[in-house]
Amino acid sequence: MSEHAIEAVGLRRTYRSRTGWLRPQRREVEAVRGVDLTVGNGELFGLLGPNGAGKTTTIKMLNTLLVPSGGSARICGYDVVTRTREVRRRIGYVFGGDRGLYDRLSARDNLRYFAELYGVPGREQRRRIGELLELVRLDGRDDDRVEGYSRGMRQRLHIARGLLHRPRVLFLDEPSIGVDPVAARELRQTVADLAATGTTVLLTTHYMAEADELCGRIAVIANGRIQALGTPAELRRHADGRRVLEVEAYGVTDRQLAAIRTLPGVREASMDVVGAAQVLGVQSDAGYDVQADVLRALDGVRLGRVTARQPTLEDAYVAIVNRVAEERPIEAVAA
Amino acid sequence: MTALLRLIGTGGVIAYRALFNWTTPAMFVGTLLVGPLFQLFFFAYLGRQLGVADDRFYIVGNAVLAASVACVFGGTMAVSNERRFGTLGHVLLSPRSRTAIFLGRALPYALNGLLIAVSTLTVSSLLLGLRIPVTALPGLLLMLAAAALACGFFGLTLGAIGLRFRDVWLVSNVAVALLLLLTGVNVPAAGLPAGLRAVGGVLPITHAAEGARRLVAGDGFGAAAPALAAELAIGLGYAILAAALLKLFETESRRQATLETV
Amino acid sequence: MLAVGALLHAKQLSRSPFEITTALIVPVVQATLAVYLFRAGGEPGRLLEAAVGAGLMGVWSSVLFGSGGAIQNQRWLGTLEMIMLAPRPPALVVLPITLATALTGTYAMVATLVWGRLLYGIPLDFARPLLFAVAVPGCILGLGMFGLLLASTFVLLRNANALTNTLEYPIWLVSGMLVPITALPAWTGPVAAVLPTTWGARAVREAATGSGPVWPSLGICLAISLACLALGALMMTHVERRARAAATLALA
Repeated sequence: MSEHAIEAVGLRRTYRSRTGWLRPQRREVEAVRGVDLTVGNGELFGLLGPNGAGKTTTIKMLNTLLVPSGGSARICGYDVVTRTREVRRRIGYVFGGDRGLYDRLSARDNLRYFAELYGVPGREQRRRIGELLELVRLDGRDDDRVEGYSRGMRQRLHIARGLLHRPRVLFLDEPSIGVDPVAARELRQTVADLAATGTTVLLTTHYMAEADELCGRIAVIANGRIQALGTPAELRRHADGRRVLEVEAYGVTDRQLAAIRTLPGVREASMDVVGAAQVLGVQSDAGYDVQADVLRALDGVRLGRVTARQPTLEDAYVAIVNRVAEERPIEAVAA
Repeated sequence: MTALLRLIGTGGVIAYRALFNWTTPAMFVGTLLVGPLFQLFFFAYLGRQLGVADDRFYIVGNAVLAASVACVFGGTMAVSNERRFGTLGHVLLSPRSRTAIFLGRALPYALNGLLIAVSTLTVSSLLLGLRIPVTALPGLLLMLAAAALACGFFGLTLGAIGLRFRDVWLVSNVAVALLLLLTGVNVPAAGLPAGLRAVGGVLPITHAAEGARRLVAGDGFGAAAPALAAELAIGLGYAILAAALLKLFETESRRQATLETV
Repeated sequence: MLAVGALLHAKQLSRSPFEITTALIVPVVQATLAVYLFRAGGEPGRLLEAAVGAGLMGVWSSVLFGSGGAIQNQRWLGTLEMIMLAPRPPALVVLPITLATALTGTYAMVATLVWGRLLYGIPLDFARPLLFAVAVPGCILGLGMFGLLLASTFVLLRNANALTNTLEYPIWLVSGMLVPITALPAWTGPVAAVLPTTWGARAVREAATGSGPVWPSLGICLAISLACLALGALMMTHVERRARAAATLALA
C-alpha cells in the first residue's frame, strides 16, 4: 500500500480546438500548467479556484477520464495512464448538478446498474445498495423514478453511486452546487463522516465556509497552477498581517474611494451596495490603524456601523486570486 | 465467469430500460409493432400492383426487416443517450471490460427485434393469407434470431459512430434507408446494380431474408443453412467492429477530450 | 406574422445538419426505390408517375415529421411553453411551423424529380406543366393545414413520436401515392375519401400524366384542408387549455 492516496507531479493539460471548417484554425488552450500535489491516505483535501481555473480538468486527469499532456499522477501508487483498471477500482467520482443519472430508472436500479459496472460482487449488491440508500436517506423513495427527484435528492444519489464499490479515494467535484442550505449542511456531514472512516476525499467547491469547515488542507488553483497550499489557518495568513475595516455609509463618491486607496497602509479598498447602504471594505496592514484616516476621508458622508475584523478564509482566497489576476489576465479557459 | 455473465445479462437489461426511449406501451405498440406492419402492407400491395413478386417475397422479407428498426434505433440510443443523461463518464469509469458492458447492451434489443419480427410475420400471414409450412417454423425462428442478433450488433456499431459524430439520428436514419433499399427485401437483389448488391451483401438482414424465403417456400433447412451461416458471420463482424470502435473512441477521448464525458 | 413565422422555422430547420442531410438523402432513396420497383415490375413507362408518387411520399413525411417533430423539438428546447405564452391565438403560432415543413416538403418533391432525372433518366414530360406547377403548391398547402390538425393533437400527447412513426406508411398506402386506391381492400375507400392527402395526390398525378381534370381534385383537397384548419384551430385552443390543466406542455 502506497503511503499517499494521490500524487501528482507536473500535471499539465492542453486542449486543442479547431474552429472553422473551410479554413480550420487551431487554438491551443492550456487548462492546467503544471500541478504538483500529494494527498495522504484518509486526508480531506480541498481544491479551490475560480471558474475555469483548471479544477475539473485536474480531477479528470486524476480519475483517468483524461490523459495528461505532461507530468504524471498516481492514485494509491498506480499510474493513472497505464494502470487504469487498478485506479478505477479504487476511486469514486461525484460531480454536482443534476445530470449523470438515468432519469427513467429508480434510484435502486441506477445503483444496481453501476454496482454491476463497478464490479460489486452479486452477493453483496443488495445489502450494499440498501446501506447506501439509508446513508443518503433515500430509502422510502428508492423505487421512484429519478426524473421526479429534487436536486438535493439527485445529489445524494450521486454520492451513493460514488460509494458503491467502497472507493479508497473519492473525488467530489462541486457537490453542493445548487443545493439548498439545509441539504448542503447534511451533505457536509456525510462527507465528514466518510473522511472519518478513512476514505480519502478530494473536494472542489466554491463555498469557502464549506472548505474551511471540512478540509484538512486546501490548494488554491488559478490560471492552471496551484497558487497556495496549506491548512485553512495557514492560508488565512495570506491575508495575514492585514485587518479588514468595514464601514456602512450613504453617498460615498468615487473620488473619496480613490483617496482612501492612497492612504498609507491601505492594501485594497472596495465598495459593495447592500440595500440602500454602501459597504466600504478596506484591507490594511495590521501595523497601521487606518480607521481614523478612513473616517476623515469620508468627512461629510452619513455613516452607519463601523466594524474592524480579522480576515476570513474568503478574504485570503480573494487576495490570492486577485494577485494572480494582476500578474497576468486570466484567459478564458475551458473548464 | 458468473460475474461476467451478470454484467452482460443483468447489466444489459437495466441499460435497456434506462436508455431505450420506446419502452412506454404507446411507443412500443405504435412504433415497433404497428409501424412495421403498415410498412409490410405498403410494399406487399405495391408489389401486387406492379407484379414484381408474390406476397411471400414481401411478407417474409419485410418481417425479417421489421427486426431491424428496434435494433438500429435501440443500438443508437444505447450509446448516445448516455450523452443525453450525462452518464457516459460514470460508465467509462468502470474498471470492467468495455466489450462486455456494451455488447451486453445489444442483446435485449436483439430479443426485442426477434419479438417484433415474429409478431409481424404472424399477423401479416394471417391477414394476407400466407401459408407457412409447419416444418419450416423452427428454422425460421432460428433465421429471425440470427437476423435480430446481427441487427443488434449493427445498431451498436452505429451507436459507436454516433458517439463520436454528433448527429446520431442522422446515422441511424441513413442506416434504416440503406437497409430498406439494399437488403433485397423490397427491391429484388437481381434488379440492383452490382455495386449496391455488394453493399447489401455486408448488411444484416440480406442473407436472413433470403434464407427465410427459402424456408417458407418449403426448400428445407439444408437449402437455407448457408444463408444462416452468412448472417451469423455478418453479426459477428459487426460485434467485433463495434467493440473496436468503442475502444478506439474511448482512447482517443482520453487523449483529446473528444467525448464530452461529463 | 405568418410569413415571418414560417421563414424563421424554415431557417431553424435548415440550420441543422441533420435535417439537411436527411433532406438530401431521403429523396434519393425514395426515388431509387420507386424506380427499381417499377422497373422490376416491367412498367418503365410509368416511371414519371413513380417519381411523382415518391416525391409526394417525401412531402408527407416532411409534414408528418415536421409537425410532430416540431412540437417535440420545441418541447425539448424548452421553447414550447414560451410559444404558448405568446399573446396570439395558438393556432396562428403553430401554423407557420407546419407551413415551413410543407415548404421543405416542396423541396423533397423537387429533389426526388431531379434525382430521378439525373440518376435514372426519367423524362420529365408533364402532361400539363402549368397545372402541375399549381397543383403541387396547392397540395402542399393542403397538407400543411392537415399537419396543423395533427400538430394540435401532438401538443397534448407526450408520446407524439409514437403516432408520427406509425402514421407514415398508412397514409402513403391509403391515399394512393404509389399504389392505386383501387388495389386496396374496399373498406379503405371511405378513409381515403376524407383524407386531403388522397385528393392532393390525385390532383398532382392528374396534372403530371393528364389522366383527368385537375381542378376538382385540387378543390376537394383544399376544401378538406380548410376544414382541417378550422378544426385544428378549434382544437388548438381547446388543447392549450387541456394542456395547461394536465401539465403536459413542459418537457416530460
